[in-house]
Amino acid sequence: MAATLLSPHLLLNPKLSIQTSASKFPTPKSRSTPKIRAAFSDPFVLQIAETLEDSLSSSLTSSSAPLQKLRDASSQTVLSTPWPSRKDEPFRFTDTSLIRYSQVTPISHPPTSIAISTDTQFPNLSIVDGHIVYSLSNLSQLPTGVFVGSLSSLPSETITKRVSEFVANFEGDLFWSLNGLGTPDMVVVYVPAGCRVEMPLHIVYYSVEGGDIGSKKLPVSNPRAFVLVEEGGEIGVIEEYVGVGENKCYWANAVTEVVIGEGAKVKHSYIQSQSLSAAHIKWTSVQQGSSSSYELIEVSTGGKLSRHNVNIQQVGPDTVTELSAFHLSVGDQTQDLHSRLVLDHPRGYSRQLHKCIVAHSLGQAVFDGNIKVNRYAQKTDAGQLTRSLLLEPRATVNVKPNLQIIADDVKCSHGAAISDLEENQLFYFLARGIDLETARKALICSFGGEVIERLPYSSIRKKVETHIKALLEPTLKGSS
Amino acid sequence: MARFCCACSPQSSPLTFIPKSSSNFRAFTCSATRLLSIRTPSRRPLSLTATLATVHSAEASGVDSRDKKLLLEVKDLTAVISETKQQILKGVNLVVYEGEVHAVMGKNGSGKSTFSKVLVGHPDYEVTGGTVVFKGENLLDMEPEERALAGLFMSFQSPVEIPGVSNIDFLNMAYNAQRRKLGLPELGPIEFYGYISPKLDIVNMKIDFLNRNVNEGFSGGERKRNEILQLAVLGADLAILDEIDSGLDIDALKDVAKAVNGLLTPVNSVLIITHYLRLLEFIKPTYIHVMVLDLCLKFHRKQMEQFHFGWQSEKLKSTLNFSPL
Repeated sequence: MAATLLSPHLLLNPKLSIQTSASKFPTPKSRSTPKIRAAFSDPFVLQIAETLEDSLSSSLTSSSAPLQKLRDASSQTVLSTPWPSRKDEPFRFTDTSLIRYSQVTPISHPPTSIAISTDTQFPNLSIVDGHIVYSLSNLSQLPTGVFVGSLSSLPSETITKRVSEFVANFEGDLFWSLNGLGTPDMVVVYVPAGCRVEMPLHIVYYSVEGGDIGSKKLPVSNPRAFVLVEEGGEIGVIEEYVGVGENKCYWANAVTEVVIGEGAKVKHSYIQSQSLSAAHIKWTSVQQGSSSSYELIEVSTGGKLSRHNVNIQQVGPDTVTELSAFHLSVGDQTQDLHSRLVLDHPRGYSRQLHKCIVAHSLGQAVFDGNIKVNRYAQKTDAGQLTRSLLLEPRATVNVKPNLQIIADDVKCSHGAAISDLEENQLFYFLARGIDLETARKALICSFGGEVIERLPYSSIRKKVETHIKALLEPTLKGSS
Repeated sequence: MARFCCACSPQSSPLTFIPKSSSNFRAFTCSATRLLSIRTPSRRPLSLTATLATVHSAEASGVDSRDKKLLLEVKDLTAVISETKQQILKGVNLVVYEGEVHAVMGKNGSGKSTFSKVLVGHPDYEVTGGTVVFKGENLLDMEPEERALAGLFMSFQSPVEIPGVSNIDFLNMAYNAQRRKLGLPELGPIEFYGYISPKLDIVNMKIDFLNRNVNEGFSGGERKRNEILQLAVLGADLAILDEIDSGLDIDALKDVAKAVNGLLTPVNSVLIITHYLRLLEFIKPTYIHVMVLDLCLKFHRKQMEQFHFGWQSEKLKSTLNFSPL
């Protein structure tokens, strides 16, 4: 045992040795094995992995087969992945020290008394600190055949089997694996073939438990959702991440997987308004079948460290992918979007728009938009545009639009612009008697408008607009 | 009958008339007194303003111009492009009284649009000399938004797009800025909508246009009509219309002319910058200024009807050679 563990090559690959050690996890472990493993795994990562495992085994969490499969696969990856450093390309501009130097503790149960009121008129599901809370949810308006709920309460075996096919297929980064390891349950949204869901599904992820600023305590939650839309199905999903309470410190490590069948359509709205002292890392992994359509509209305004990883894999031709994102940093915040679109089949159509405003001298925005147009993705039409507004001196934005094109019969374009507000637009306001401050305010508020107006539901749109106006108010009062 | 007067000197006020007739263009320009001081070593010819004898303008308008209030007085305005410091305006003189329509015409590049932009306070241009007095106040000391609130409106030659800000919001902001200045309560969106909807008929535009973003996706003609709508909503003591007729078909042109004529009162004035005479057939000007390669000559419209306008200085020479009396 010890001999096999000592050689790093075998540590990464051997199914035998790791499996036996993994089975040691749920039971109280001996102190010797972690020490040997620690020589080859990042100790901080190991520590988090262990606390997550402990919390899962101690609480009454479900362990259905797909979930167990997910946990096993994740623990394998976690053991061999170090904590990302600034020398790794995916984290070159993103500083994760907020999490690295805090005491990470998993939240094993949802808080007992929750003072949250849901004000949405759509069918909704509430997830508090990573745990589903049915008492705050209302799923009555969904058509028959559509299932929304925990993996363990799936009505039929066939659906569970379908879900298992996709679980643990994709390998994200360390945070993906940590979620797989630590998620207490998986929310499954299942839309059967040919079913058009009229009302959108509103999933609200609340983060209640948190440490106070300066306490170094960072409670972590790992909500995970899996959306499976069979052929010809259509659904709109709104994922809203909200921090409850005043500026608590916590870490929300979320994962959403979407599998879109042939000819199906998914409209995905993602709104992040976490506490301004929290860390928020989200993965969105999508698989698009042929002739399917996926639209993602993202508005991200909260979090001290907010990172969204998007991975879209095309598994059939003639797909339509539309991505829009609006990031806003009004304080000492980092807003990061790393997206990857992999096209392996012909005639895919995709458009990506990224807009961000950095309104604080310590604020930062990062964009890495990768589009891989591989050999068989002929006749692809891909476009990407990123526009950033820097409103304060020393505000930073790092954009890396990148297209990797191997196919030779494609139409691809990309553009990037980083600027302050446009002079001639400002002058137009001045020439009509509107003072500079009002003009700047109007232009700044309207900058994100292009993305916000793509949100398909007017109640959500209004809510987001009001929230952004409120966030920009103190900034604009201070500037002139 | 026709009398041409040339008054050109930085020191003299444009109101001094020096009746002169001459057969020689050079002599014409030099025959004004005190010109010698201008003809000094500076190689660039200075701009001249030829003004008519008051007799004619009195005939035309029926009122002695000296009784009307002075709205705008530009004296020897010189300006350069801020970035390159290249001189564009080389001494422009212009006087506008209340209730007058002035037209400024001239070759491309002669400085007409620059003149209007300088009056409005565009940051691309820097004033290097001269004075501009608007309603008794020094205009050059005022910020662009102050000038607008003082009653100076400029309709841009190529209005810029402002995606994300709707027409009605923009007009509401501008209107409320005016109301604030006058100490009146501001109008909310609904009350403002009630105020503005009749104005749309003036420019013959539909209601749905208000919800579109400012100039976004507008054709050239629609942008020009939007400018006139803004003028109708905000009002102005002096409206400067920079090439309002470019890009308009004959019907749109008639609409715009009708709108402008409808907005004219005995107490406000319009300064039209244009290349073509056809707009002036609909909006009858009181005076026409010609900026021709640094020359700015003012003609009474009656005189204009009598001869064909050419921009080459030879032709102009010959027209100026027209010796009255």
